[in-house]
Amino acid sequence: MSESPRPTIADSETLFASLYADLHRLARRELSRSDGVATLGVTTLLHEAYVEMSAREGAAFPDRARFMGYASRVMRGLIIDHARHHRAQKRGGQFEITSLDAASAAAAADPVELSRIGEALDELSKTDPALAELVDLRFFCGFSFAEIAAMQGVSERTIQRNWEKARIYLYHAIRATLDG
Amino acid sequence: MSGFDPERWAALSPFLDQALDLSDADRAGWLASLSDRDPALAHELAIVFDRYRALGEERFLETDTIADLRPPGLAGTSIGAYTLVSPIGHGGMGSVWLARRSDGRFDARVAVKLLNAALIGREGDERFRREGQILGRLTHAHIAHLIDAGVSPAGQPYLVLEYVEDGEPIDEFCAKRGLDLNARLDLVLDVLDAVAHAHSNLVVHRDIKPSNVVVRRDGQVKLLDFGIAKLLAADADAPATRLTREGGAAMTLAFAAPEQLGSGAVTTATDVYALGALLYLLLTGRHPAGDAVQSAAALVKAIADDEPPRASDVAQPLSMRGRLRGDLDTIVAKALKKKPDERYASVSAMADDLRRFLRREPISARPDTLRYRAATFIRRNRTAVALAALAAAATLAGGVGTLLQARTARAQRDFALRELSRAEAVNDLNRFVLSDAAPSGKPFTVNDLLARAEATVARGRYADATRVELLTSIGHQYAAQEEYAKSRRLLEQAYALAQSVPDPATRARAACSLAQTLGNTGALERAEALIDEGLRQVPDAPQFVLDRVFCLQRGSEVATNHDKPAEAIDRARRAGDLLAVAPVRPALAELDSLIILAGAYRAAGRLGDASATFARAVPQLDALGRNDTTRAGTVFNNYGATLIVLGRPLDAERALRRAIEISRDSASDDAVAPNLLINYARALSDLDRQAEAADYAARGRAKAEAAGNDVAFGQVLLLQSTIRRKQGDLDGAAAALAEAEPHMRRTLPPGHVAFASLQSLQSLVAQARGDTASALVLADRAVATAESVVAAGRGGRDYLGTSLIRRADLHIQMQHAAAASADAARGVDLLEAASQQGTLAATLGRAHLTLARALAAEGRAADARAQAAVALRHLESALGRDAPDTHGARDLEGAAAAGR
Repeated sequence: MSESPRPTIADSETLFASLYADLHRLARRELSRSDGVATLGVTTLLHEAYVEMSAREGAAFPDRARFMGYASRVMRGLIIDHARHHRAQKRGGQFEITSLDAASAAAAADPVELSRIGEALDELSKTDPALAELVDLRFFCGFSFAEIAAMQGVSERTIQRNWEKARIYLYHAIRATLDG
Repeated sequence: MSGFDPERWAALSPFLDQALDLSDADRAGWLASLSDRDPALAHELAIVFDRYRALGEERFLETDTIADLRPPGLAGTSIGAYTLVSPIGHGGMGSVWLARRSDGRFDARVAVKLLNAALIGREGDERFRREGQILGRLTHAHIAHLIDAGVSPAGQPYLVLEYVEDGEPIDEFCAKRGLDLNARLDLVLDVLDAVAHAHSNLVVHRDIKPSNVVVRRDGQVKLLDFGIAKLLAADADAPATRLTREGGAAMTLAFAAPEQLGSGAVTTATDVYALGALLYLLLTGRHPAGDAVQSAAALVKAIADDEPPRASDVAQPLSMRGRLRGDLDTIVAKALKKKPDERYASVSAMADDLRRFLRREPISARPDTLRYRAATFIRRNRTAVALAALAAAATLAGGVGTLLQARTARAQRDFALRELSRAEAVNDLNRFVLSDAAPSGKPFTVNDLLARAEATVARGRYADATRVELLTSIGHQYAAQEEYAKSRRLLEQAYALAQSVPDPATRARAACSLAQTLGNTGALERAEALIDEGLRQVPDAPQFVLDRVFCLQRGSEVATNHDKPAEAIDRARRAGDLLAVAPVRPALAELDSLIILAGAYRAAGRLGDASATFARAVPQLDALGRNDTTRAGTVFNNYGATLIVLGRPLDAERALRRAIEISRDSASDDAVAPNLLINYARALSDLDRQAEAADYAARGRAKAEAAGNDVAFGQVLLLQSTIRRKQGDLDGAAAALAEAEPHMRRTLPPGHVAFASLQSLQSLVAQARGDTASALVLADRAVATAESVVAAGRGGRDYLGTSLIRRADLHIQMQHAAAASADAARGVDLLEAASQQGTLAATLGRAHLTLARALAAEGRAADARAQAAVALRHLESALGRDAPDTHGARDLEGAAAAGR
């Protein structure tokens, strides 16, 4: 079991499902201990998820970068789903991931806007998957340029330039839609 | 949704890359030139960049807001030149944030500590900034740099620090990776280097603990928060508030030094302690105070009062314990001393010892076992079997002279270097052996140490000449312990090996050392031959003068054993004369010469000279700090024994008491030699303190019997007879002599001078019973025995003198006045010859008193009065004014005066 084969497409679906569950669980645990002391960021959460995943028998990620790529997509899904859900139950007071990300995407961005960003990202991931992943890592997961650069083995300058390109693409996509 | 279609995007992408690398102004020029070549493309890009400006203004996907978590209020806040990004920690001091430069295009990341404003001292912001600047100058590869310290306009004190990515506390780092001992020590050495650097810049960390010593993933260690504890403790009232401030956070307290709990000054030694605790933790997996969950109060008590267990006794895994035992235990213990001035004087010194350990060299720290553990052990158990401190002292004292005193400015360099290199090899060995001394925690004996030294030399790789020196030194020390078989084995090895050493002095020393041990085991002819060989081999050059002295001293001892007192005195004197003109005079060698000369005088029966020479040696012992060594014990014993025979029991009692104290100092009376106990009993008996004398004699007898020491056993039986006779127990006195006689016949050659003593004592018992006839027969035998010893040239003049005086006493009682005065006059002459002119001795005093009585019995009142006056002078001085014999002399002098 020590060999870690590259995940196939089918594997990816399974992984997504399992990652989703994991991240939910981690977020929940984080919440239960966040009583005003230190609160883990999404990045930390993902690092932790990675550590847990890689300790698991038969983990299918060949490296940390690839894991983060998947995980950040999962996180994007979590956040967007959550933003929608949150709006639906504004005062529900239920135990949700919202609390974790009270100050992040879900709270900061309008859920409609977030949905649009999500759709535009789906499109971008077909046109230029590397840029889409960068947005997941940066926007949804809060990794710094330096971290992403280190993860992917490219220069920070490249990451920063790609980031601007991604912004241009997404802005164009969203505004073009709104402008009709 | 309609973004760029993929083909369009692929076409635009390289142009976007180019344009994004330009500034806004440059981009305008670039677009203008592009529009000349491809107006459509340029137009499209111009629209893209219009939107790009708009998205910038909109802060579209501005990630800071996304990444920020709680507390949301601070993220994005500017502190100095930095913008807070996300919290990375939270503690008693405040919160720690990851931040990046506000003005940079790239993420230069730092850690920003937002401190509780309450932590800043009363002196306030200015001092905080100033101290911060000092700390900011501290740059070292293993110190996380303090970049800035200040107070924001809003009144928020902050520190900007180098951000250590993925830093893991050092203990977790070591544990997770299962690092081996050497890897752990390497990390600790990096830490020590960093702390030493800070100390050289007069900065003390004050708060070294695992969470402040982190290791990056690449294995680089970084010390965090250097000097910050001080930065915060503006008020020196800190110790008490420290506890409250940290809210009973036991883990932080756990690494506090004892002086941080009380009012002691915080110095570099404070960091040494914390480093010791850290080392302990990394080596054993537990804190010195133990791992049990404890209250802050219990922890404070443990830090202040409790000695931590040896690292090697608690280390996990067990396999680690073997390598900790010995030097590492010692190093850790020295760093963790409760008293700051007993710890390593500097972090560098501690690092040096760790490096020596890694190189398998002797460390500088001395283990507790030497004084401390021995002392504790002895306190707990007075019947301890071994004397740690004494053992150490003996081993060191037995080494080659190291106290070189340059007497002339032009002391020959060759000479000094020769001696120093010799001394170094031996001292290194001593130090090594001692530092590794008691692995089991039990006190050790001298023989343990020597066995260890022997094994060390056997294992070690030394040049032949060095090995000869070391074997000789150890063999010499075995001889001092009267372990002659072991001594001889090593010295034979050294002698054989020396034959291939080109240095003639090394060969000479090996020969003479072997000779000394052979002399003690009866192989006197070979011993003499080796001394001659050694003296022939030493070149007659100034740089070899100490080697010649060494051989002369050994030669003197051999001659003493060989019953050649004149030769012994001659060699000892020549050694002293050589030393007096040597360019460099090792004080220890001078002391040796005096002690050996005194011994030679004593063997020759020149007791006055012996006593005077011992008297010169005593202040030298004191001056050299050797006055509590086994050798000093021997000197005082021999001095005391000489004084007894000289009839100076008051002085003898003092010298012997000192000898006993030295022996007992480090252990129980068990360590006191039987001879010494018996000598002391003899001095007490001479002082008419018979009850005490009987007690010491009984102890000496038991020890002599247990040790199988026949000579001492015979002596103590004679002494017990004397004591009992003086106590009026004549049957007991006779019984002791009845026991002594067969014992002496079995163990001594016929005609030995001791039989004169036996016969003389038998005579005294008979005399006390009133059986003067038997007493006279026995007194005659005693005189005859002593006469034949003197006639054979084997000394014994003092025995003959004493025997004659005792017979004179008997003659007086039997009213044989003429015989009495003849015996007494001859006895006085013999005893005066045996003692030095002007020595005021009880023996002589008693002899003069007997002569005075004999003269009085003859009716020669004036002569008697003169003799009584002499007797009184001697006895008053030697025994004191109130001794019975002193009264006797005084009465006689008065009576004689009255009768005139």
